[in-house]
Amino acid sequence: MTYRFIDHTADIGIRVASADIRGLFEEAARALVEIMGARSSGGSRQERISVHGLDQVDILVRWLQELLYLIEVRDLRITQVEIVEIGETDLEALVTGTVSPTPLKAEIKAVTYHNLEIQEVDNNLEATIIFDT
Amino acid sequence: MMEGLRIRRIDPFRLEIERKPPMRTRGIVYANSKIERSLEKDIVLQQVANVACLPGIVGPSLAMPDIHWGYGFPIGGVAAFSARDGIISPGGVGYDINCGIRCISTRLGLDEVKPVLDELLTGLFRNVPAGVGSINKGFQVGKKEFREVLTKGALWAVKKGFADRDDLDAHEESGCIEGADPDMVSERAVERGLPQLGTLGSGNHFLELDVVDDIMDEETANRFGLFAGQVVVLVHTGSRGLGHQVCDDYVHSMLVSLRRFGIELPDRQLACAPVGSPEGKAYLGAMAAAANFAFANRDLITLVVRETFERQFNRSSERLGMRLLYDCCHNIAKMEKVTHEGSPITVCIHRKGATRAFPPGDPRLPERYRQTGQPVLVPGDMGRMSYILAGQAGSRETFYSACHGAGRLLSRRQATKISRGRSILDELRKKDIHAMAASRSTLAEEIPEAYKDVSDVVDTITGAGIARPVARLRPVAMMKG
Repeated sequence: MTYRFIDHTADIGIRVASADIRGLFEEAARALVEIMGARSSGGSRQERISVHGLDQVDILVRWLQELLYLIEVRDLRITQVEIVEIGETDLEALVTGTVSPTPLKAEIKAVTYHNLEIQEVDNNLEATIIFDT
Repeated sequence: MMEGLRIRRIDPFRLEIERKPPMRTRGIVYANSKIERSLEKDIVLQQVANVACLPGIVGPSLAMPDIHWGYGFPIGGVAAFSARDGIISPGGVGYDINCGIRCISTRLGLDEVKPVLDELLTGLFRNVPAGVGSINKGFQVGKKEFREVLTKGALWAVKKGFADRDDLDAHEESGCIEGADPDMVSERAVERGLPQLGTLGSGNHFLELDVVDDIMDEETANRFGLFAGQVVVLVHTGSRGLGHQVCDDYVHSMLVSLRRFGIELPDRQLACAPVGSPEGKAYLGAMAAAANFAFANRDLITLVVRETFERQFNRSSERLGMRLLYDCCHNIAKMEKVTHEGSPITVCIHRKGATRAFPPGDPRLPERYRQTGQPVLVPGDMGRMSYILAGQAGSRETFYSACHGAGRLLSRRQATKISRGRSILDELRKKDIHAMAASRSTLAEEIPEAYKDVSDVVDTITGAGIARPVARLRPVAMMKG
């Protein structure tokens, strides 16, 4: 597991780390899927996600918001996430899974920007993300 | 981040955070010594100070005694911004726009309810949709009608016969925030919210039966229709996915335009825009629409509660005396008139985890509460007491705002950890509290120890002259999402 929970009084906080930016975005997505209980063991439904934002912090939040929407509203249960392309302000990703309205484990209202930074720590990239629950 | 904030105790109920650049004003935290010891000082006081940096703030950046760590604004934060040159911040309202609480009174005594409590709770649990991502399968409105919900709120519910006209003025703003603009609500927000109208949701949202355990102000209690031993119903929920999406949409749109407005922020979650700017006005219209959804949401849940009681007791809800005592918003921004330094001004007041608390005599109160002051509902945690307060003259210094609950003490994860191996349902049962939850993990996260003692919060609010206690409620049955 390359993310761990951090204590936040009202909400859920996670710290994600990866060797590169692509990995960081994928790990953050896997963390969200796991917290919500939205993982699926198989499936062939593919969703292509394009996100545009102000900078990498903004596209990280917006990428996770897109996933949250697919899970909550479109009932997508997710097998795999892949960042196809990522720049400073744009992201292309492929999400694979299956549409199934299985009950979710936790309600995440939103992905917040609260004190969110992407930092280099010990040759890794790290981000701390607070979800409103 | 500002290093070394200086904190000073003003009196037994108030702490001051001294103004220090880039703060534009000082901070005031309402806290007695017990609350002060429980504060996560380095985090929450910093958040109060961050809010003090926002343009156009009027008076101090305030925090109620149930303050805890939020994102951007602290939970329990209150801040007023000038309508002329101040800002509005979606993060200062929060994702759950018009999350709020209502109290429905009954004429039933506990002796009448106790023998059928399990049956009644089971009925409520069956009839009120709750839980993670809950949708209302039994009741769906079309898109056109949904616009009416967003525009009119409780008034829509009354027109459709889902709520009682006599209860309208017992909603804050009569259940309809003016200026709601459904065109400012995104397709996605509608998509998220539409199927969720009439649902409780999960997390800290709840439906609870309480008994009036103690009357602390006889005269006011009489006017509120409260008596010792009486059963009342509390409903706590908000605007569900609709509000969450509105907040998402506008935090982003304001982040994009920050540079244009020349606003610098200590935390992106504080993203904001001038109240009068196109972005600010658009958010106000969308936020009011989401707030109206929340009023209608609580009205629909109330309808189901009434029907469940009617079937259980084989009497009409009128005969059961089921009336809305009050419905308060506690995540909201509103344009309100206040007096500041002797002059009347209009401010955009943000209450994030705080309740409006108009004092006796305020002309904005409905006739029945004009002499008493506004009812302020302060729910405790699952195992402890809740309070009904009434606004007092001292609320002028908080722009007519009071606390909204007990305030979290432990994170959900810490709460889950310490509740491992325990049966929370059995523990509650030993206290004579019946509980049902859509998820076991919600119960674990919401254990009583996860919250501050609401009595300390109420003591502080009372001591500061913001509101006075009218009645104390003891939970007897609850359902959680």
